[in-house]
Amino acid sequence: MDRIVVTGIGVISAIGNNVAENRHALINRNCGMGKLEMFPSHFSGILPVGEIKISNESLQKKLQVHEPGVTRTSLLALHALQEALQESRLTPAEIAAYDTALISANTVGGMCLTDEMYHDSKKETGSSEYISSYDYGSINRFLQSRFHFSGPINTINTACSSSANAIMYGARLIKSGRVKRAIVGGTDSLAKFTINGFNSLRILSNEICTPFDEGRKGLNLGEGAAFLVLEKESEASSKKIYAALSGYANANDAFHASSLSDDAAGPYKVMKEALEVAGLSPADIGFINAHGTGTENNDLVESIAMKKLFSEIPPFASTKANTGHTLGAAAAIEAVYAILNLSEQEIYPAINFNVPITATGLIPADSYRKAELEHVMSNSFGFGGNCSSLIFSRA
Amino acid sequence: MFYIHQSSCISPQQTFKDADLTVLHGPVEKQLKAIEPTYDAIPPGVLRRMGKAVRMGAGSALPLLQEHGKTDGIIIATANAGKEDCVKFLDQIVQYEEGMLTPLNFVQSTPNAIAGQLGLITKNHGYNITHLHQGLAFENALMDADMRLAEYPDHQYLLGAVDDISVSSYTFEEKEGWHKQEDISNKDLYNADSPGSIAGEAAVMFLVNNIAAGAKAKLVAVDTLHSTDEHIIKERLTFFIQQHLQNNKADLLLSGEDGDNRLAHFYDMAAAVAGNETPIAHYKHMCGAYPTASAFGLWIACEIFKAGALPEHMTGSLLKVSYKNILLYNSYRGYQHSFMLVSVA
Repeated sequence: MDRIVVTGIGVISAIGNNVAENRHALINRNCGMGKLEMFPSHFSGILPVGEIKISNESLQKKLQVHEPGVTRTSLLALHALQEALQESRLTPAEIAAYDTALISANTVGGMCLTDEMYHDSKKETGSSEYISSYDYGSINRFLQSRFHFSGPINTINTACSSSANAIMYGARLIKSGRVKRAIVGGTDSLAKFTINGFNSLRILSNEICTPFDEGRKGLNLGEGAAFLVLEKESEASSKKIYAALSGYANANDAFHASSLSDDAAGPYKVMKEALEVAGLSPADIGFINAHGTGTENNDLVESIAMKKLFSEIPPFASTKANTGHTLGAAAAIEAVYAILNLSEQEIYPAINFNVPITATGLIPADSYRKAELEHVMSNSFGFGGNCSSLIFSRA
Repeated sequence: MFYIHQSSCISPQQTFKDADLTVLHGPVEKQLKAIEPTYDAIPPGVLRRMGKAVRMGAGSALPLLQEHGKTDGIIIATANAGKEDCVKFLDQIVQYEEGMLTPLNFVQSTPNAIAGQLGLITKNHGYNITHLHQGLAFENALMDADMRLAEYPDHQYLLGAVDDISVSSYTFEEKEGWHKQEDISNKDLYNADSPGSIAGEAAVMFLVNNIAAGAKAKLVAVDTLHSTDEHIIKERLTFFIQQHLQNNKADLLLSGEDGDNRLAHFYDMAAAVAGNETPIAHYKHMCGAYPTASAFGLWIACEIFKAGALPEHMTGSLLKVSYKNILLYNSYRGYQHSFMLVSVA
């Protein structure tokens, strides 16, 4: 069987508007967290967020989006998708072919327009231009009409691990012979909805988040989008190959609606099964991009799972300390970073870390360095017990 | 593709446990609302906190998960699940001006809550995923199950679709012009010649695997596309039929027509492609119009194989049948289209 390879990547996040800027920021230990500025909220100035400092108007102008009803979530998706498509040099005909899939994930859809949605949901009021743009499928529908995709299109949700499953589903469509290529990714924008939601669960930190630190106080929300172009290796012989997607797994922790089990059943199971799918052993993994949200529960349980699986834990870090937790975009953004680890043969340092968690004692990668990396793992866990892990391998 | 063994359905008709499709239940206040059972399989404390979509999803799925052996994963399709809690949480945000809010609505607003709850209640650590892509969410779930069963041939999966009518989802659809203005009986749905349809809801669950023996039906093929161009859709449907049907002829066309006269030309096209000799039956007058209604269509197809008869309200006249295969065509809002072929096992 042909390998499934990555021939294009695109990303936009609080630490950069494209792949090169994101890489530069990771090397330079940049933290994208700051004051919420793009929409009014009680929490602006109280809770730090990883916000992309480009207004919707500027995004629309830059991307030449003139149609009504396009939300920020869709604009960010288009921004990242365009970069990935350019990188992969897919022709418009290939993009529109019936054997090209578009699979993406998000968790807020058009709910970034929290106040507009509130008014549109009431019988008594009129309807805004966004009336058909709130649902999760509206982003792919926008991308479909823009690029004339005619192959399988899907929108997936497994909460905070959503885009890992979009990547997996696209890879499996290729593997099963249904398509030759799949454009996969995720997007989410900051929203009053999610800020208030996570705040009501008391898992947002009012300080910059500190993943895997004993003193961690919770997560910071972020926004962004990332897309990958996946192709069969035999179809991509003349192209630059960034990495191969060699392993993936999805499992359920089956413990609690919004927290992970003490014995790390789900996180452990997905890492183990992703290795099995890739035909690798734990010792083959050179780096782990951890889920590492910075919450009490996640970082402890993820540490326990890593200790259970790896006799010697490879270097690891959570880039959520740089970008914030971008929810439905997180696994796709972190997949791009894992791919950069491999294509550039380098490890980006964990930032905002001081003291290891007492119970587990794990210390994330502390400095930027070049490294011989063959395989990189990227973890994502979400509400509803939805755990996923991806393994990328050197081209 | 794979075999359908058990099925379970909570819908506006008498479909749960002992199905009786001869009596047609009509809409109440222009909505075809599900006849909900007492949900004996769900612990009362858990049931109280469930939103309607999660309740219907769990209520239809749990009997299958608890009574029919090992299930290796849970694959759910839904376009609207969570919307009710989502708007409730929005209301809290606005009402309390982002003050101290309670998290219950937020946690339940996530559309993976059905699959997540099912995993939690049945301690199922296997594959667990939720497909959301509007009118093609269920078809994507079918493709997912097909791929999983190719990757793990001895597995069995719960595969289902749930969408509910909530006050907010109804209001959104109303404002978008997807409901009929006039209050009509569902008996007259296909003769109304007006825009819009009757809102509906259902939870449909299947247990699927690769074992032919004892199966209710075999899902032979599924295909989907996005287009508003009737010619492109016709080409793809023609190709689908040529690829998967001997003699290029289906025994029955189970049409997803929903009485919206703006979409009728797509269903006329499908009937023409299927050919004059192929009888047509309908199901949306039973379940109403909602994004994952094609799952109800697939459930009906399985019932047709079992019963060997079609009630008069589905075809215009009572048909005694011994169909070997059924072709399903469905369009969601005229821009998403799906074809399914299902045969006797």
